[in-house]
Amino acid sequence: MGRIFMITLEGRIYSCKHCFTHLALLDDIISKSFHCGHGKAYLFDKVVNITEGEKEERMMMTGLHTVVDIFCVGCGSIVGWKYEAAHEKAQKYKEGKFILERCHITVSFTRL
Amino acid sequence: MGGVEDDEPASKRMKLSSEELRRLSNGSTIKEPVAGSSRDLMARPLQSEGGEEVVGSKGVIKKVEFVRIIAKALYSLGYIKSGAHLEEESGIPLHSSVVNVFMRQILEGNWDESVVTLRNIGLTDERTVKSASFLILEQKFFELLDEEKAMDALNTLRTEIAPLGVNDSRVRELSSYIVSPSYCSLTRSPKQDTVRARSRSKLLEELQKLLPATVMVPEGRLEHLVEQALVLQRDACMFHNSLDKEMSLYSDHQCGRDQIPSQALQVYETGVSLKHKLSGHQKPLSSVSWSPDDRQLLTCGAEEVVRLWDVSSGECLHVYEKTGLGMVSCGWSPDGKWIFSGLNDKSICMWELDGKELECWKGQRTLKISDLEITGDGKQIISICRETAILLLDREAKVERFIEEDQTITSFSLSRDSRFLLINLLNQEIHLWNIEGDPKLVSKYRGHKRTRFIIRSCFGGLEQAFIASGSEDSLVYIWHRGTGELIETLPGHSGAVNCVSWNPANPHMLASASDDRTIRIWGLNNLSTKRKEPCSNGIHYCNGVY
Repeated sequence: MGRIFMITLEGRIYSCKHCFTHLALLDDIISKSFHCGHGKAYLFDKVVNITEGEKEERMMMTGLHTVVDIFCVGCGSIVGWKYEAAHEKAQKYKEGKFILERCHITVSFTRL
Repeated sequence: MGGVEDDEPASKRMKLSSEELRRLSNGSTIKEPVAGSSRDLMARPLQSEGGEEVVGSKGVIKKVEFVRIIAKALYSLGYIKSGAHLEEESGIPLHSSVVNVFMRQILEGNWDESVVTLRNIGLTDERTVKSASFLILEQKFFELLDEEKAMDALNTLRTEIAPLGVNDSRVRELSSYIVSPSYCSLTRSPKQDTVRARSRSKLLEELQKLLPATVMVPEGRLEHLVEQALVLQRDACMFHNSLDKEMSLYSDHQCGRDQIPSQALQVYETGVSLKHKLSGHQKPLSSVSWSPDDRQLLTCGAEEVVRLWDVSSGECLHVYEKTGLGMVSCGWSPDGKWIFSGLNDKSICMWELDGKELECWKGQRTLKISDLEITGDGKQIISICRETAILLLDREAKVERFIEEDQTITSFSLSRDSRFLLINLLNQEIHLWNIEGDPKLVSKYRGHKRTRFIIRSCFGGLEQAFIASGSEDSLVYIWHRGTGELIETLPGHSGAVNCVSWNPANPHMLASASDDRTIRIWGLNNLSTKRKEPCSNGIHYCNGVY
C-alpha cells in the first residue's frame, strides 16, 4: 500500500479506537452535548487524518442538514460526520464543523 | 520624423550615400536612381502628413518605425545599396540629416563640430547631451594622447571635459593617463595597449546606446523583435520537449503531443529485475536517496535508523543513529561528503560519511512526515517545519526563510537548478514556488486526486518544462509547467500511483510506481525509440514498492 499521509498531534488528543490514528485535540472541542445513534458525540472545530464520503441530506433531532460521513485514513472505519450545510438559521453555527462519535474514539496524551 | 529638415536633406543624403558607395567597388550605377527619386514626389507625401500611418492587421505597428528598423537591418546585413534604396523609395530616412552629419563627423574625427551638431539634434534631456559630449571629448582626449599631444589633451581635459560636470571620478582617472603613459585601463585588450583610444565606430555604438531610439535606431532592433516572438512561441508551445525541433520564421512554432511520453514501454513487477535485496531495516522505509555519484544509496527506516549501502555490492556500509531518537528522512550534500537526516524530535542532523556528527539544528525544523532536500550549492536545507509551512534553512549564514501555505503540505520536490520548489497540498493542489530571494508563488496545478496517501510529483522534460504527478485514481498526470494546463493523463496502472520520476537524462522517459505493485516506464508513442533500458537513477522514490 502507499504511504498514508498522517498528521501528528501533540498534547491531549482523541484518536481512532481501532488503529490509534490521531484525530483531534481536546482543545478543539466546541461542545460535548451531541448525540448520535450510538450514544454521545462531540462537536469539533478541526479534525485531521480523515477522508470524506458523499454528501447526504439527513434529518436529525435539530432539523435537516447536509452532511458527509468521515472515515479514519488509517483503517477506513467511520468515526463521525461533517456538517456541510444547515437548513435552519439557528443551526448555521455547525457548518464546516465535525462530529466525532464517542464510541469510535479514545483519549490519550502524546508528547514529542 | 524628418519633416523639419526638408530643405537640407537632398544634397547631404546623397553625399552620405556616395560615401558609403565608395566602400563598395561599384558606385556609378546607383547615383542615377538616387538623384532621380529624391525629386520624385511620390516618395514624399506620406512623411509630411504627420507620419502616423500603421501597418499590420492589428494597427499597432507605425510604418515609419517599421521601415527605419528594416533599413537598419539591411545596413547591418551589409546590403548598403538596398538600405539606401529603401530610404529613397519610402521617403523615410533612417536618420535625420542632422544625425547623418553627426555620425559622419564622429567617424571623421571632427570632435568640436560634432559636439555642436549634437546640440542641433534637439535632444530634450540635458543630461544625455552632456553624457554624449563627455564620450566624444573623451575620445578626442585619447586620440590626442596617442598622437603624443599631451598639452592639447590636458587642455581639452581642463577646458572642455571638466566643465561639463559629469562623472568627476572619470575626469580624475583621465588626468592620471597624462601623468603615467603606461597606465593601462581594464577595458583595453592586451594587443591594444599602445593605442589608448578605441575605434571610432565603437564610439558611435556607445553614442547610439546613449541617445534615444527615435534619434538613432538601436543596433539589431529588428533581430531582437523577431527573437522575442520566437521565444514567446516556444514558451507557449505546450508540448515542446525536443532539442532538435527547429524554429522557423515561416510558421508559428507548435509541437505535437507526440513529444510527451504517453505509452508504457515496460512494466516491472517487483522482483523481476532485482539486483540486490537490501535487508537490515526493522521498520518500513520512509525514504531512499541516491548519492550524487550514483554509487551509494541512503535508506531511512520510519522513525528508525539511516543506512548507507554500496550499490554494486549490496553491502551495508554504515548505520547512522542517535540514541533514544528515530530518523524520519535522509539526504545527501551535493558533493557527496555529508549526510543529512531529519529526526523525530523535530531536529535535523548532519554527519560525515564515517558517522561523525558535525552539526545539529534543534527546534521546530522538521516534522515526522517531512521530506528533506539540499540545494545544489549545499547551503540550504529544505524541510516541512509546520503543517502549513516549509523551512528554507541556510546552514552557513544561519538564516531561515519560510514558505507559508493555507493548506497542509504533504510532500515537495526541488527543481534541478534548485530555484523552484514543487509543493503537494492536502487539498489536491500542487503549487510551484520560486525560492530565490523571498519565496514567491508562481503557478498552481490541479486535476489529480489525493485523499489518503502521500502522492509525489516531479519536474521533468526538456529544461524541466513539465510537471508530472501520481494520483489516487491510477493515472499519471502531466501538466505544462509554464501555462499550468493539463496536457496528458496516462492510464495503465490499476492502483493509486504513488510517485513519478522523469528521467533526467532522457526527456522522453518517465517512470511511475503504484499500489498495484508495478513500476511502469513510459516513453514516446512512436516505437522508434533507440534505448529500451531505463536509466538506473531514474527512480528516486518508490513509496508503493518495498
